[in-house]
Amino acid sequence: MAAEDLPSQFDVVILGTGLTESVIAAACSRVGQSVLHLDRRNYYAGNWASFTFNGLLSWIEEYKNQQEVQIAESEQVWRSLIDEGEDVMPLTSVDSTISNLEVFSYASEEEEKDETKTPLTSCQPVNAETESEETKGGSTEGQDTCTGDDATESNGKTQNEEHQEQHTSEIAEPSQSQDEKEPQPISSPADPPVEVEKKITYQKLLKEGRRFNIDLVSKLMYSRGALVDLLIKSNVSRYAEFKNISRILTCRNGKVEQVPCSRADVFASKQLTVVEKRMLMKFLTFCLDFEQHPEEYQDYSEKPFSEFLKSKKLTENLQDFILHSIAMVTQQTLTEEGLKATQHFLRCLGRYGNTPFLFPLYGLGEIPQCFCRMCAVFGGIYCLRHSVQCLVVDKGSNKVKAVIDTRGQKIGCSHFVVEDSYIRDEQRQSTAYRQISRAVLITDRSVLPSESDQQISLVTIPPVGSSAPAVRMVELCSSSMTCMPGTYLVHLTCSSSGTAQEDLAPVVSQLFDVPAIPGEEPSGGSEERSKPAVLWVMYFNMRDTSAQDSSGYSLPSNVHVCTGPDSGLGSNYSIKLAESVFHHLLPDEDFCPPAPNPEDIIYDGDGPQAEGSGFDESNNTEEDKSQAEEEKSPSTESSEPAEMDSVTQETPLDTSPPSEE
Amino acid sequence: MAGGSVSECKEYLFKVLVIGELGVGKTSIIKRYVHQLFSQHYRATIGVDFALKVLHWDSKTLVRLQLWDIAGQERFGNMTRVYYKEAVGAFVVFDITRGSTFEAVSKWKHDLDSKVKLANGNPIPSVLLANKCDQKKDGSNNSSLMDNFCKEAGFLGWFETSAKDNINVDEAARFLVENILLNDKGLSYEENNGDKIKLDQQTVPAESKPGCC
Ligand SMILES: Nc1nc2c(ncn2[C@@H]2O[C@H](COP(=O)(O)OP(=O)(O)OP(=O)(O)O)[C@@H](O)[C@H]2O)c(=O)[nH]1
Ligand SMILES: [Mg+2]
Repeated sequence: MAAEDLPSQFDVVILGTGLTESVIAAACSRVGQSVLHLDRRNYYAGNWASFTFNGLLSWIEEYKNQQEVQIAESEQVWRSLIDEGEDVMPLTSVDSTISNLEVFSYASEEEEKDETKTPLTSCQPVNAETESEETKGGSTEGQDTCTGDDATESNGKTQNEEHQEQHTSEIAEPSQSQDEKEPQPISSPADPPVEVEKKITYQKLLKEGRRFNIDLVSKLMYSRGALVDLLIKSNVSRYAEFKNISRILTCRNGKVEQVPCSRADVFASKQLTVVEKRMLMKFLTFCLDFEQHPEEYQDYSEKPFSEFLKSKKLTENLQDFILHSIAMVTQQTLTEEGLKATQHFLRCLGRYGNTPFLFPLYGLGEIPQCFCRMCAVFGGIYCLRHSVQCLVVDKGSNKVKAVIDTRGQKIGCSHFVVEDSYIRDEQRQSTAYRQISRAVLITDRSVLPSESDQQISLVTIPPVGSSAPAVRMVELCSSSMTCMPGTYLVHLTCSSSGTAQEDLAPVVSQLFDVPAIPGEEPSGGSEERSKPAVLWVMYFNMRDTSAQDSSGYSLPSNVHVCTGPDSGLGSNYSIKLAESVFHHLLPDEDFCPPAPNPEDIIYDGDGPQAEGSGFDESNNTEEDKSQAEEEKSPSTESSEPAEMDSVTQETPLDTSPPSEE
Repeated sequence: MAGGSVSECKEYLFKVLVIGELGVGKTSIIKRYVHQLFSQHYRATIGVDFALKVLHWDSKTLVRLQLWDIAGQERFGNMTRVYYKEAVGAFVVFDITRGSTFEAVSKWKHDLDSKVKLANGNPIPSVLLANKCDQKKDGSNNSSLMDNFCKEAGFLGWFETSAKDNINVDEAARFLVENILLNDKGLSYEENNGDKIKLDQQTVPAESKPGCC
């Protein structure tokens, strides 16, 4: 943790820890390049990050503060570090990729466990003071430690609460009232169950904040998509676990219903007639290998997929399912692209479950971190809250020779990889951006309750008018490790036509119970309500730079820009970009070969210095299995001991310990 | 990983973190414990997440201990969540010959507690290691001071260790594992949600037909 100087030369300096940059970092480090990986934030993953509830409140605060801060760049520092024949190209220190952020809280402000219904005070905008206090590590930790010290009492309490939460979506059992052992007066145990039902207060959200992992970007992973393939190929997958998306829903005429997509679904479907089932199966079978039957769609190659669907005499019902929920394309998408999308969907079915999608436990923000871990394990150096002020460009070759970091150190590099948001407008051909509209909701139950309350649902919401965007919604349950038990975390995403709130609030109010006045509770108990209640909602726009390509920037030739997340459902775009940047950097190297499994690694002793004879164990321990099987050849060529040896490094401290005393 | 071959045997897999300032001897302690080796001119092994030690704890218990070293250079204190995730115990190491490394212990402990917790919200059990005790100059005994420090900082206890002379490394590990096992009997570390998916080459069905058609 000590602040100290970094080495003065790296092969690759990477700025930004989003998915694309992190994949590049892992890929470079894996093949032996020395990598310095920086981020100006104090967290990993940039706009791909996920936050605890309290962490998200800090992020919101930071956003608000950044609106005001003007950082004065001190050119003096650079001047002294620049030599003859060198030019300076400054980067921006302000991140302007997020805009139109709005937060509304509808969770009760009552003290936790206070069951009496009292009039509520408005809590919007969410009080900044309480938040930042809660979220600055110190006080939260302090609280948690207190809880820990007070073990017996608080343990019991936590367990009771958890027990209760699991029941919130069911009818409360009478036994629950006995869990309420609070000293304060409580409602009579004879109250009807609805009254006793545990309410999720704002305090509760804060207290259980660490159970949330709220992603800024909402994407799913196609089970045969580029990201899943890369995770498997590189062995980075060992750092994460996943859940299958358990169902695909759609919203038609204001009603949420399940989309039949697998064979089993189609046959089990209650919405479809027998004729429709047959039509759908026939059509999907065709899509699986549509290339084999060009005669079927040739006439429509210049026409939209939607027209092709019409021509197939599918019922309107089925056309909607296929267009919006299976192909997930727009009315305008051309036939071949629609067929390809349908085929991809179908091919992804059944690999891990009966929808094509996976979601990482703890949120999508895990994935960039998994690649960062891989990079670090192969020797990459990581510094957060540490950025680059400017590039040092060689006038002759128009190449970056070095960067000057925010601590004023000049660090040499052969390549510089940077996330788009660090680039100044002067270096861009155009500053007109597309935007992504996002909403994040915490709700009290699922939009489509079923036998299991642990469903992860993708909900496709077709555009209302012809100009309105199609909205994609992902509803996560607590077992995805992204929200506290008793709540659901809902992500809405669309390409922006207006602000996030303008684009998405109509959908939110269509599907959820949103009180007219923030701070006011939804009317009636959940038994009476037909829709889930919104406890908390955040809207924001995120800049979508995915349309930019390298010709859009005027930068030295060894600077590689990574655009941010796109609005698509999968991550193909970002992975393909990482791969292409990597091949640009290192044309002859393998992209993310499998990392050796730690359990297969043979320890390469340090030769003569090692005192390998000390098998004088006093307890009944046993040697590591992998050691015993000394000659066992690891499963991948890359884990050969020889190669492991060639990438070992000298520890800077191996000879003289610094004299700090 | 082999499933329990002995029918009565209970098998545990514990992830234990080893953290502390630069050069305090984290890697040396792990190598001593797992490989019974020590080197003065230690070279960081690149490409390894953790070292595995298998403990035949008692006739009915097998413990597989994953010791996670700070990766190559996540040493600037910016470890990813991947590093902390699902850890059930930790060693915080300092070097008795360098006071500044002891001063940093609280920082490391705080960082640890803020990044990982047991399912019940309590901090994970952690043990403080005062390493390089072979270099201890005076015979001074501040053990009561250290006891107090541990109590305040939330460590289960502390050990004077030497990776060089193999002092107390096994004892410290045994002490930590005992405490992890105690926790494990009391409560489960995570909500059990059985249908988690691991992606790896082996589990991918060789030729899986799409579920449809
Ligand atoms: N005398 C003595 N030296 C030790 C002991 N443990 C480690 N060392 C030495 O201290 C130096 C650093 O040890 P490492 O194991 O590399 O320390 P580390 O904490 O892994 O260091 P980083 O990975 O660089 O943060 C090496 O020269 C070791 O030989 C010990 O118990 N006694
Ligand atoms: Mg080390």
